[in-house]
Amino acid sequence: MQTIPADPFAFPFERGSLGLIIIDMQRDFVEPGGFGASLGNDVSRLGAIVPAVARLLAGFRRAGLPVIHTRECHKPDLSDLPDAKRDRGTPDLRIGDPGPMGRLLVAGEAGAEIVPELVPMPGETVLDKPGKGAFCRTNFEALLQELGLQHLIFAGVTTEVCVQTTMREANDRGYDCLLATDATESYFPSFKAATIEMITAQGGIVGWAAPTDIILEALNG
Amino acid sequence: MKTIKSHPYQWPYNGDLRPENTALIIIDMQTDFCGKGGYVDAMGYDLNLTRAPIEPIKAVLSAMREKGYHILHTREGHRPDFSDLPANKRWRSQQIGAGIGDPGPCGKILVRGEPGWDIIEELYPKDGETIIDKPGKGSFYATDLEMVLRMRGIENLVVCGITTDVCVSTTMREANDRGFECVVLEDCCGATDKGNHDASMKMVTMQGGVFGAVADSKTLIAGLV
Repeated sequence: MQTIPADPFAFPFERGSLGLIIIDMQRDFVEPGGFGASLGNDVSRLGAIVPAVARLLAGFRRAGLPVIHTRECHKPDLSDLPDAKRDRGTPDLRIGDPGPMGRLLVAGEAGAEIVPELVPMPGETVLDKPGKGAFCRTNFEALLQELGLQHLIFAGVTTEVCVQTTMREANDRGYDCLLATDATESYFPSFKAATIEMITAQGGIVGWAAPTDIILEALNG
Repeated sequence: MKTIKSHPYQWPYNGDLRPENTALIIIDMQTDFCGKGGYVDAMGYDLNLTRAPIEPIKAVLSAMREKGYHILHTREGHRPDFSDLPANKRWRSQQIGAGIGDPGPCGKILVRGEPGWDIIEELYPKDGETIIDKPGKGSFYATDLEMVLRMRGIENLVVCGITTDVCVSTTMREANDRGFECVVLEDCCGATDKGNHDASMKMVTMQGGVFGAVADSKTLIAGLV
């Protein structure tokens, strides 16, 4: 058993069951001119973590450890889109509408693709999910079991929505979850801080947190 | 169209608020989370924070019972043989001196059937109200909650209970991903840390209500059909 120095205490892991989960690093959320930007969000905050995620990704590839990429998106016929998600708050732009990079949050459209710097390699799993959590209405848990993963390192966006929801789901299912603090970001800095606080509260009630360099050091060690 | 005044939009989004399609779900109002000698007390947190929602929940519960809404209660706890307790959950609870399954003043911590695990007297379920026993923070994982909600045609959930940033937030996220329309009642929730309570509420309201809407007990009661 190896450990990664982390909050609120060291994260024990076995190399053979360690995997990297990169959440929703999609063009629509991260790039200028995408859906996130069209809502008035400062996407430069999200773009700034791409190099850290890329380093983490390279480290896992070098170590020959599994990587799973997720994408939030819906089927082109929107049959997996709850009415409440589409219509809530009567937005000007609804999911499925034409947006700056194709139909918003629809699988196969340019905006739903992962940013070029982090594009999945052949053999890496890409998981499309209709919700914020990666376990809901997907085969994510079956994939984790198939790959023999128990210890999960999380990166991606946004920290308080999809990353946090997925970590909560994984934690309830008994997985050990560690958030790479500089490889995740929110449009709102206070939410990122609050999420890390919530994850590590009460003795790591949701999981652990550590920066990329510390994770990579443990991986190489 | 019938809605409740809430933030950031009038809830529910489609104006279809009726006792038949709407449920109150009260999360984990157990002695272990808000009673003397329970789990939260053993971790050394201020019980006033998790006890604050008791009176407001009581008022909402009474109003919604009277109007015939569906009422559900949840309890977090594990089987006495721990066969549904992930090893890492137990280990982490031991790290802060309140090990799940360890004996305490209210019996074994978070174990089904023990005095500390049950719902507090003030909010105890009435006959005919559904109780969901869950091994996790989320009320949907490894339970029949979704089936019960679908069988009854429930579309809207009024969410409250403790603790805000852990079980309430996780359950609301799960419900939202499954297409249920949720409103959380700010004064009917409590956390071991006030900052985490406030942040959880604020997160709900971003991006046009990413997980639903936020209201309080008085506004909800005033707006009930």
